[in-house]
Amino acid sequence: MGIYIQFLIDVLSLGSLYALMALGLVIVYGILKLVNFAYGELIMVAGYTLFLLGGSPFPWLAMAVVAVLMAVLTGIATEYVAFRPVRSKSVTAVLITSFAFSTLLQNSALLFISPRARTVPLPSVFSDTVMIGGAIIPLRNILTIVAAALLLTVFSFIMKKTVLGLAMRAAATKFTMARMLGIPANLIITSAFAISGLLAGVVSLFWLGRIGSVVPGIGLEPLLVAFIATVIGGMRSLQGAVLGGFLLSLIVTTLNYSLPPELLKFRDAFTFSLVILILLWRPDGLIKGPATGQRT
Amino acid sequence: MNNSKLITLAAVITPVVLLALASTALGFPVFERIATLLLINMILVLGLQVFMGNSGILSFAHIAFMGIGAYTSSLFTIPLQMRGMVLPDLYLVVKPILLSPYISIAIGALFAMLIAALVAYPLMRLSDAAAVITSFALLVVMHTIMVNWSEVTNGPRTLFGVPKATTVYLAACGAILAAIFALWFKESRTGLLLRAVRDDEVAAGAMGANLSLLRWRGFVLSALMAGFAGGLWAHFITSFQPTAFYLKETFVILGMLVIGGSATVSGAVLGTFLVTFAFETLRATENALNSSSVFPLQMVGLTEIVLAVAMIVVLVLRPSGIIGAEEFGAIVQKWRRRG
Amino acid sequence: MLEIDGIELRYGAVKAVRDVSLKVHKGELVTLLGANGAGKSSTLKSIAGVLKPVRGTIRLNGEDISSLSPEQLVRRGVAMVPETRDVFPDLTVDENLQLGAFSRRWNTRAVEATRQQMFELFPLLAERVKQPAGTLSGGQQQQLVIARAMMSNPSLLLLDEPSLGLAPVIVDKIFEMIVALRQSGVTILLVEQNATKAMKISDRNYVLSLGRVAAEGTAAEIAERSDLKSIYLGS
Repeated sequence: MGIYIQFLIDVLSLGSLYALMALGLVIVYGILKLVNFAYGELIMVAGYTLFLLGGSPFPWLAMAVVAVLMAVLTGIATEYVAFRPVRSKSVTAVLITSFAFSTLLQNSALLFISPRARTVPLPSVFSDTVMIGGAIIPLRNILTIVAAALLLTVFSFIMKKTVLGLAMRAAATKFTMARMLGIPANLIITSAFAISGLLAGVVSLFWLGRIGSVVPGIGLEPLLVAFIATVIGGMRSLQGAVLGGFLLSLIVTTLNYSLPPELLKFRDAFTFSLVILILLWRPDGLIKGPATGQRT
Repeated sequence: MNNSKLITLAAVITPVVLLALASTALGFPVFERIATLLLINMILVLGLQVFMGNSGILSFAHIAFMGIGAYTSSLFTIPLQMRGMVLPDLYLVVKPILLSPYISIAIGALFAMLIAALVAYPLMRLSDAAAVITSFALLVVMHTIMVNWSEVTNGPRTLFGVPKATTVYLAACGAILAAIFALWFKESRTGLLLRAVRDDEVAAGAMGANLSLLRWRGFVLSALMAGFAGGLWAHFITSFQPTAFYLKETFVILGMLVIGGSATVSGAVLGTFLVTFAFETLRATENALNSSSVFPLQMVGLTEIVLAVAMIVVLVLRPSGIIGAEEFGAIVQKWRRRG
Repeated sequence: MLEIDGIELRYGAVKAVRDVSLKVHKGELVTLLGANGAGKSSTLKSIAGVLKPVRGTIRLNGEDISSLSPEQLVRRGVAMVPETRDVFPDLTVDENLQLGAFSRRWNTRAVEATRQQMFELFPLLAERVKQPAGTLSGGQQQQLVIARAMMSNPSLLLLDEPSLGLAPVIVDKIFEMIVALRQSGVTILLVEQNATKAMKISDRNYVLSLGRVAAEGTAAEIAERSDLKSIYLGS
C-alpha cells in the first residue's frame, strides 16, 4: 500500500511542477506562436537570487517572493530583448535570439557568480517528512501539489473570468482582430511574459527545493520538460500543457520505479523515445487547441 | 550549371584553398590548427544549412550526428593494443577490427546518416515549432546515450588514442565536397520544392505528406555531412568527451550559420570564417586578460556572451544574415549588370 | 469626416492600391465597389491601421491618422469588421461583445446600454448569449462581429464584405441592420462586391479598379456609366 501512495504523490508532485512549467511556455506560444528558449533561465535567476539573499536576515518567504519577482522581471526583459525587436521578422529569428539570450544569461551567471554549484537557502519545512498510509512522504511534495492546485485555480480564474484573460485568449486565436477592437498588443504580450515568469518563479522554489543548489545550467532540464510536455499535450492548448505535464511525470516516474538499475541511467532516452512514439501517433499533440490564428 | 552558380562555387572554394595553403606556408602550427578546425566547422555549418536553409526548420540535433560520426569512426581506428585501456568493455565483435581512418570516417558518416534516416521520420511530420522542440529533445537523448554507453564511448570520460589522420588539406577537401553537396541539394528538385514552400504555410499544407519526405531527405543529407565532420574532427583532436557534442557547440555553429545567412551556401561559408576569427580573437583576449590579471574576475564565458549579443544584433538588423537570399554568384552578376 | 488623399498601398513588392482618394462625410453611408483585387479591402485595412500607406495621407476629422496603430484608431472612434469575420471562436457571444467594449470597459453603464441596444437590433444574438461563437452560422457570426464592433461606440464603422458567403435572404437582413445602424448616427464605409444591393442603401459610391478610383457618385450616376459593367462584377 505504501508504495502506491508514494508513487501517486511522486507523480502528482512532479507532474505539478511539469504542468506549471509547460503552462508558462504555452501562454507565450499561444499568443505569439513563438518559442521562448530563455524560459529555463528564469529558474536559474530565481535560484541565484535566493543564493545572493542567503545571508540576509529576512524570513525565507520574503526571499522567495523576491526570487519569484526576479523571475517575472527577467521574463519581461526577455520580451524586450529577444522578442520585440524580431517578432515580426521570422519564427526562426526569435528562436535564435531567445537561445542567444539564454546563453547570455547563463554565461553571465558563470562570469559574475561562479561556475560551481551554490547552495540556496530553503525553509526547514522542505526537509520535513510526513507518514501517509505507511509511506514516508517528503512534506515538500505535498506542498508542491497544494501550491500547484492553488496556482492553477487562480490561473484558470484569470483566464476565464477577467477581461485580461479573455483578451489574452482572444489574442491567442486572432491577434490582429483583437488589436482592431482596441486591445493593446503590447499589454497582452507583456502580461503573457509576466504570467509565464510567475509560473516559472513558483516552480523554481520547489525545483530548488529538490536539488538544494543552483548552477548556471540548471534551467536546461525544466526547459526540456516544458518543451516536451507542451509538445505532447498540444501546443495550442492551455489544458493540453497541463495534461502533458502530468503525463510526462507519469512516464518518468514509472520508468524510475520500473527500470532495472543498469538501464536507469538511460531513463531520459527511454522517456523521449516514448514521447516520439506519442508524436508519431498524434503529431499535433493530444489536445487540439482552438482554430489556428494568424501569427502577429 | 550556369554562370552564377559557377561563380558561387569558385567564391566558396577559393578562400578554403587559400586558407589551407596559407596556414601551412606560414609555418605556425597554431594557424594550421585553427584553419583545420575552421574547415571542419564549415562542413558542420554547411550540413546545417542543407537542412535549415532549405526547410526553414531549426534543428538542434545536428551536432549529435557529429558525435555519432566521431565515436563510430574512432571505434575502428584506435590501435588494438590501446583498446583494452581506452574501452575496456568494448564488445568483442568490434574489438579486433582495425580499419584505415579514411574508411572509418566514411563508415561513421554513413552510420550517422542511417540513424538520422530512422529517427527523422516521426520528426518530419511535426509542425515547425514542435519539430524544433523535438530536435532539441533528440539532442538530449543522444547526449545521454553518449554519456552512458560506456562500452562504446568510455562514458563521460575522455576517449583517447584516436590516431591523427586529418590534415588541413583533408579538411579542405572535405569542406569543398560539403560545399558542392550543399549547392547541389539547394538546386535539386527536392531543394527547390522545399524552398518554394518554406515560408508559405498554406502552400506547405497543400503539399501534405510529400513535404515530410522532402524534409527527411534534407535531414538525412545534413546528418551525413555532420557525421563526416565528426569523423574528421575525431581524427584531428585525437581525444574527446561527450560534452563536445552538446549545447555550447550547437550554439556556436548556429551562430555561424545565422550570422552568415542561413538561406545560402555563401552565407554558411562567410559565417564560419567570420565567427571563427572573432572567436579566436576573443579567446586570445580572454586569455591575455586572465593571465595578466587586469580584472579581478576570471573572464570565463566572455566569448560566448559577445557571440550571443552579436547574434541578437545581426538578427535585429539583418534578420536573414549578412548574405541574405542570394548566393554570392547572383550578387556578383547583379553588380555586373548595373555597372 | 474621413479624407483619403492619394494613398499607395503595398504588400511587399505588390501594389494593391496605386492611387486612391475619397471622402466620407459625417452620417453618410458610402460604398467601395469593384472586382476582386481592386484594392477595396486594402483601403479599409489602411484606414484601420493594419496597413501603412507608402504614400498619401488619411485624415480623420482633420487629424492625420496614417501612421496610427489599430488600438489608437479604436480610441478615435474607428471600428473595423474584416471580411474574415474573425469571431473569437472559443469565447461565447457575450464574451466577444465584452471584448468589443474593451476600449471603454470602465464605463459600465454606457457599455450595458450599448449591449441592450445591440440585442434589440440583433435579437438572434440575445438568444445565444452563452454559445461559443465558433458554433454560430455564417450569418449569425456576421451579426456578432458587427454588434461587437459597435460595442466600442464608434463614429466610423468600416465593413468589409459583410455579405460574403451568405445566402441572399440573410444578406438582405444584414443590410437592413446596416441601415438601422446608420440611422442611429454612425458613419459607415462599406466594401461590397454585391454592387446592386449595396447601392440601394448607400448615399454615395466609389468604384475601384486595379488600385485606382474609376468612378464616383450616387447610384443613379453610376448606373448611367455603361463602361463600368466591364470593370466590376455585380449581381
